[in-house]
Amino acid sequence: MADYKDNEIILNVQHLQKAYGEHQVLKDISFEVHKGKVMTVIGPSGGGKSTMLRCINLLEDPTGGEILFHDQNILDENYNIPRYRSKVGMVFQQFELFENKNVLQNCMIGQELVLKRSKAEAKKIALENLKTVGMDPYVDAKPRQLSGGQKQRVAIARAISMNPEILLFDEPTSALDPEMVGEVLETMKKLAKTGLTMIVVTHEMAFAKEVSDQVLFMSDGYVTEQGSPDEIFNHPQSEKTQKFLANFRGPQI
Amino acid sequence: MKKHSSWISALMAAVLTLVLAVSWSQPAQASGTLKIGMEANYAPYNWTQTTSANGAVKIDGTSSYANGYDVKIAKIIGQKLGKKVIVEKTQWDGLLPALTSGKIDLIIAGMSPTAERRKAINFTTPYRTSNFVVIVNKQSKYAKAKYLTDFKGAKLTAQQGTLHYDLIKQLPGAKREPASKDFSAMRESLEAGTIDGYVAEDTELTSFKMVDSNITGVNLSKMKGFKVSSSDAEVSIGVKKGNDQLLSQVNKILAGISTSERNKLMKEAVQQQPQTTTKKENWLVSMLKNYGQMILEGIGMTLLISLVGTIAGFFIGLLVGIVRTIPEPKNKFKKGLLAFCKWLLSVYVEVFRGTPMMVQAAVIYYGIAQFWHINLNRTVAALVIVSINTGAYLAEVIRGGIISTPKGQFEAASALGMTHNQRMWNIILPQAIRNCLPSITNEFIVNIKDTSVLSIISVSELFFVGSTIASQSFQFFQTYLVISVIYLFLTFTITRIFNLIEKHIEGPENYNMMANQVQVGKQEGDK
Repeated sequence: MADYKDNEIILNVQHLQKAYGEHQVLKDISFEVHKGKVMTVIGPSGGGKSTMLRCINLLEDPTGGEILFHDQNILDENYNIPRYRSKVGMVFQQFELFENKNVLQNCMIGQELVLKRSKAEAKKIALENLKTVGMDPYVDAKPRQLSGGQKQRVAIARAISMNPEILLFDEPTSALDPEMVGEVLETMKKLAKTGLTMIVVTHEMAFAKEVSDQVLFMSDGYVTEQGSPDEIFNHPQSEKTQKFLANFRGPQI
Repeated sequence: MKKHSSWISALMAAVLTLVLAVSWSQPAQASGTLKIGMEANYAPYNWTQTTSANGAVKIDGTSSYANGYDVKIAKIIGQKLGKKVIVEKTQWDGLLPALTSGKIDLIIAGMSPTAERRKAINFTTPYRTSNFVVIVNKQSKYAKAKYLTDFKGAKLTAQQGTLHYDLIKQLPGAKREPASKDFSAMRESLEAGTIDGYVAEDTELTSFKMVDSNITGVNLSKMKGFKVSSSDAEVSIGVKKGNDQLLSQVNKILAGISTSERNKLMKEAVQQQPQTTTKKENWLVSMLKNYGQMILEGIGMTLLISLVGTIAGFFIGLLVGIVRTIPEPKNKFKKGLLAFCKWLLSVYVEVFRGTPMMVQAAVIYYGIAQFWHINLNRTVAALVIVSINTGAYLAEVIRGGIISTPKGQFEAASALGMTHNQRMWNIILPQAIRNCLPSITNEFIVNIKDTSVLSIISVSELFFVGSTIASQSFQFFQTYLVISVIYLFLTFTITRIFNLIEKHIEGPENYNMMANQVQVGKQEGDK
């Protein structure tokens, strides 16, 4: 495997901070995301992983630091945020499919409204992506008629229908029943092979080890350690990383 | 506090002005007509009938006619002035405001020129002088009363806001029951035995006797110690203050009507007043035959007002609900402007939710006429009032619907790059409105029933029609039973229709392609 650092940097996060009043959730987060690579973010609960991810597409307003997308700071006052968000997709833990739209409409609405694609074009792209995630037989179904795994696959199709440059996953399998985790992880692996840039916050260590090019270990609002999967999983330097991974030893890895 | 209340009145003024801008209006006094205010529910002075028999005059805005002693006098005045007489059917309490606000030109409603009323309006010379009686059942021990003290312990009442009600004070020991709204209600109370008698004029006794031979009257005017000023025993025509020309014209005309002619007119009126129908016919058949058209019109009016009011109120509520949930902008000027708009809207919601619709109706209908001299069409006023009122309630309902839409739906739409407006119109509002549907149905049903309070501005909706029929047919129980069945039918039908709509939006529970039925347990991850 070639070093992930050879590829161009798309997203550069420098000294990111986020506080809710007195409570400092992110203290100092810095990392770089390389084009076409998969970065997984692991670490104990409450370490700020999800908050960090939500800061990247500005669902949370960072209270300090810089986020550079193609060398431009997205925190600048005049930066076009909706346009930026359309290039940075997000898959949520609770799927968040639009309850008032069917499967196909869920995958079309962003394309039509934000990217101004024609109905026909949007439909064509949506159907292609629904096929990729194996949900094409359910185009007319409403979200509440689907199982969790099916919903999450539709949510992935919705996100990739926007042709994002980066796709963020916020614990995509945490809300799923165990027997449905596999289908979603398979879909994500398939995506990773297409050369899509991905940031995945996850507790699936086997998945992280197998798929990622770069692993970020976060705890207590800091990036404790980062490197290749081999470096993090097989030769962890920090005591916190070692302790965290020890809990996952056994059947999972 | 003072500053606050001045803001509220400024807002009210703004709303009223807006209301005027969107509704058509008509001049208060068209030159060729003479608008007469009366209850059309006080036989033999005035009553409502369904035909133009015996020279009855059409009641403005309905298909019914008014007749009676007052109408006969009005026609003489109209004829002498060379103007067409128009009867504006108005509730007793609404007569004075209607006159002072210019909605009517004259009050000819069997009204006594009391000192209190003289403060607000002017009166002509009397067009009739009458005696006062206590109307009781023949078997009642009070039927033989000879002195004022003989009414000790009697439960007496009289019409609300009339001199009659004050007269009860002159009967030592008599129990003054709450005043009644109209004579038909008092007749019913007397027959039902909830009161021992009521104070009225001799004409009321004459006309009541014609339909119920079991009652009698005790003349108070001849009793020792009974004091009533001559002006109180008289009935006069009310004229707006400052309208001295009309006052002197009417006085001149009245002077030309002799006492014998007046007595002749009153006798005619007593004979012509509505009688209870012969009991041979089934009451329901006769009611539908006589009043079917009126009832249908009442249903139509009730449905029109509640439907238009609910739809218009929905859009007002939607607008207010949306503005009140706009997120705070970063720009300081915009932030201040938005805060101001939100505050104005919350005042609107509080004012219209916090006051009875009946009061709003009176304030808007009479207030606009009095202060802006614009005569709002009654139906338009009703539509505006119900819409504004419904809007205030639905604004909160829709705001609640927007707030309770899961946050994740906002976030997912944001993550796709949608702007605030795109998110609202495509994702949030469709869900919020769907969730609000039961409350909107509820509001619609409340409106169907609550339009009955619009009788204060004499809108002829179902309840108003019902009370007119009841007072003419004297079939109180039967009439209101029919009216309540109609209300129930309307509300029930509408509930069913909305339930179907909800079901349609909801769609089927299962997708036919669905193989895996396992539901997902919700759990919170770390955030």
